[in-house]
Amino acid sequence: MATPNITMDPITRIEGQLAVQAVAENGVITDAWAVSKLFRGIEVVLKGRAPEDAFYVTQRMCGVCPTSHGHASSMATEAVDPSFELPNGARIVRNILEGAEWLHSHIFHFYALAALDYVNPAKALQANIADTYALAMEQGIGTADFGAVQARLAKLVEGGDLSIFTNGWWGIDPVANPEEADELYNPDIPAELHLIGVSQYLQGLEMQAVAAQIISIIGGKFPMPMTSVAGGTAWMPRADKLDDCLFRLKEVTAFVDNHMIPFTLAIAPYYLNELTYGQGVKNFLSWGAFDRSTRRIEDRYLPGGFIKAADGLTNVNRPMVEHVTEDVSRSWYDQESGQRFTESETTIVTGSDFSQDLDGQYSWGKAPRYQRDPMEAGPLARVIVAYMDQASASNATVREAVDGALAVLGLDDPTILVSTLGRVAARNIETAVAAKWAAEWVDELVVELRTGRAEFWAPYNSSNGEGTGTWEAPRGGLAHHIKTSNGRITDYQLVTPSTWILSPRSDDGVRGPLEEALVGTPIRDIEKPIEAARVVRSFDP
Amino acid sequence: MGSEMTFYENLSQRGVSRRDFLKFCGSTAAVLGLSSTFVPTLASKIAGAAESGLTPAIWLSGGKCTGCLESTLQATYPNVADIVLDLLTLKYSAASMATGKYALDAKKKVYQGNKPFIMIYEGAIMEGENGSGYTMINADGTNSLDDLEAAASSDQCAAIIAMGQCAVDGGWVRAFPNPSGATGMSEYLSRRGIDVPVVNLAGCPASPEELTAVVVQALLLGSDGTLESGIAAVAADLDRLGRPKYLYNATIHDSCPRRGHFENGEFVYRYGSEEEAKNFCVYPMGCKGPQTYRRCPMIRWNDSQSWCVESGGVCIGCATWNWVDNNAPFAGRHRRVGAASSGPLAGWPLHGGGLHPIGTGAALTGVVAAALVAHGLGMKAAKRIGKNATLKTEEMKEYDAKRLKKQGGAN
Repeated sequence: MATPNITMDPITRIEGQLAVQAVAENGVITDAWAVSKLFRGIEVVLKGRAPEDAFYVTQRMCGVCPTSHGHASSMATEAVDPSFELPNGARIVRNILEGAEWLHSHIFHFYALAALDYVNPAKALQANIADTYALAMEQGIGTADFGAVQARLAKLVEGGDLSIFTNGWWGIDPVANPEEADELYNPDIPAELHLIGVSQYLQGLEMQAVAAQIISIIGGKFPMPMTSVAGGTAWMPRADKLDDCLFRLKEVTAFVDNHMIPFTLAIAPYYLNELTYGQGVKNFLSWGAFDRSTRRIEDRYLPGGFIKAADGLTNVNRPMVEHVTEDVSRSWYDQESGQRFTESETTIVTGSDFSQDLDGQYSWGKAPRYQRDPMEAGPLARVIVAYMDQASASNATVREAVDGALAVLGLDDPTILVSTLGRVAARNIETAVAAKWAAEWVDELVVELRTGRAEFWAPYNSSNGEGTGTWEAPRGGLAHHIKTSNGRITDYQLVTPSTWILSPRSDDGVRGPLEEALVGTPIRDIEKPIEAARVVRSFDP
Repeated sequence: MGSEMTFYENLSQRGVSRRDFLKFCGSTAAVLGLSSTFVPTLASKIAGAAESGLTPAIWLSGGKCTGCLESTLQATYPNVADIVLDLLTLKYSAASMATGKYALDAKKKVYQGNKPFIMIYEGAIMEGENGSGYTMINADGTNSLDDLEAAASSDQCAAIIAMGQCAVDGGWVRAFPNPSGATGMSEYLSRRGIDVPVVNLAGCPASPEELTAVVVQALLLGSDGTLESGIAAVAADLDRLGRPKYLYNATIHDSCPRRGHFENGEFVYRYGSEEEAKNFCVYPMGCKGPQTYRRCPMIRWNDSQSWCVESGGVCIGCATWNWVDNNAPFAGRHRRVGAASSGPLAGWPLHGGGLHPIGTGAALTGVVAAALVAHGLGMKAAKRIGKNATLKTEEMKEYDAKRLKKQGGAN
């Protein structure tokens, strides 16, 4: 094994705690390791508790996507009772809630976490304000008070304190050495486009909060909403509250359509080289999200399906949790490796020094595999599956959105999305599609309420048995599995998006999706591996 | 006056009107328990401080879900809160900074520097086996405990804000069997012999309004305007759990908008029911509002949209000590603690309990009933259900309906 000469520890601007080690030779990464740095232990804590408590506790798995975790947990608890049927009203409320969660998370990720890899706030200072408006008009990007944004930036720089942008240039002082700093980005990007980017960055911080307000109206607060309890929803819709939701939904949708998407399409041409690397394992798994009334995963708005490169990217099959296994030989766990996820049991590790031994154990993450293969989860997986799944009722909608975006960039092959830039694009395309659907669900709920028979909760018996809940968190597929006996949880297992994406090597030494995606990434300067950081953040890890 | 002009100019550049700003000062004053006559003073203090140099802050984390940072980003008036938090210039936060050694350098610069700083800490302190760290092992062999110790024992560390229940006492992470050896900030520091003022912001998550209130108090409300005197003012105003009194001096139940229904014996027994549609009291659903000290009904969440009980959920007592162990089962009114003698959980302590109010009956234990009496609340409920009595849901419901009729109530 070559010794890693790139260490990114910690990787910042992500949700969790992650480090990456990589080997770069002749300017290209040839090997990489993803180190999940945080032990959670939620599965152990749940043992012996009441099944419905899992809804509250599992939300604390992730402060960015608690809505989805709680929801998947309630689905698992409900599935213990084979006769349980989710009331239609609750189905629609849960869809709206999840739609808002996705809008919140995707906007938050694109702006607060990812944008500064592509946008140079220091260069925005050189922008001509009139030209900025002209550029925005020409590109069809919604405008803002660009002058005020620039003045705010100038003030930060004058004061010698770049506040949230501090250290954004990998140790380069962007004021003293503006040209060197700009080489981290594409120097051809006009200062005006950078200013538009900074302006949207600030707007994005507000819009993620507006989307979160929808969750709060329905679920009481965000993070950690209280609504999707096992059996249905605790919230019962009222006309005025639905108005509040719809109003905010329209505000966020307008931002996505008029600002986020056109900006993405305007800056993408400067980073087209990122279409050539970061492909990863090219296997995709989506459990599907947003139930239609049949509540089958193949009927979901974004359908459940998996694709394996070896069978061709157009070949979609339906996933089953029985095929998910977890290898742990490279993780700091003591359990038997390769067990089925539904059968495994988390064992508390003992006697390790938890050092990053890249030849041995190096991660708190397990290595989940689907039929023995690593799978990419997340927006790209969902978009590819929906695009290729001709049986899906959403197929035309997704195709239209993807083809439309590609056409603007002068591209036509959808498989080009399987790349670093494509992953970012897929997330933003999905944001626009989900925003449109969310407004439809509010209408659907109004119709349901008008029947006068809308139900939001139904009893269930989760005392003895087992059940699985699968759903998609914004960043990828979620599976919760619960086993109960005499009204107590005897075992609880979950496979999260991070486990899929940040998987360490499997027992047979096959890299996880992020590790594989990093291989082949060109690195200009191993001291400032921004290209690798872009690959990492494209996964929203 | 000159400096104020600049400050308001700065505000308007950020799209914040003077009116918005005063509104913000008003709500902050309310959270701090100050009279509205104090609002102008607060406004001028903030304006003055924003002009006269920022206090550095670093945001560190242990075993966390990022929920408290997420929560902070949902601040009521994002722009204004931004400014108040700009009173603290955030020198390190994993959420906004560059990667790798550049991030670490920025952090070190603060605690090796010559200016007093405030540390905001999110997440549980995970000690693992024998203080091995158990998490966040850095490439250089140090771990998150080393990071914390280096920052906390710096001479410049003026105070630590333990943001959220995990940082306060370990939160859910330390719930039985506490697999990662999690603990809270005060406990950890006292064990390590590090003496720094700690302010606990309880709750899972803590809210931006709570954080803002403490920051304003520490930076602006000291007797002589210095950070030192401000922190002394905060420290003098803490309860025995190290939390600012003004944030945790009343129960959820005290100011719950559904309280009237509790007094009238109008309860929800099932989600999605007629009673829920009428916003009746969710006490029988397991609400921990009566024993949870926090001001959610007043401060509310996400720009004041709603809060847990208003949305139809129950209070799960996320701001109480060791909240998961002490409050589970969340859907039940009482705890059952025992050990399984056989079956798949043989030998495993049954913490929490497994009763769901629907179909299995809801009961008030003597302990909870006594607690209610002690708070001077719910005398009627206690009398109604009686000591150690177990009533089936349907019986409870019938009883309440009769009682309501007798009192000439609705329905």
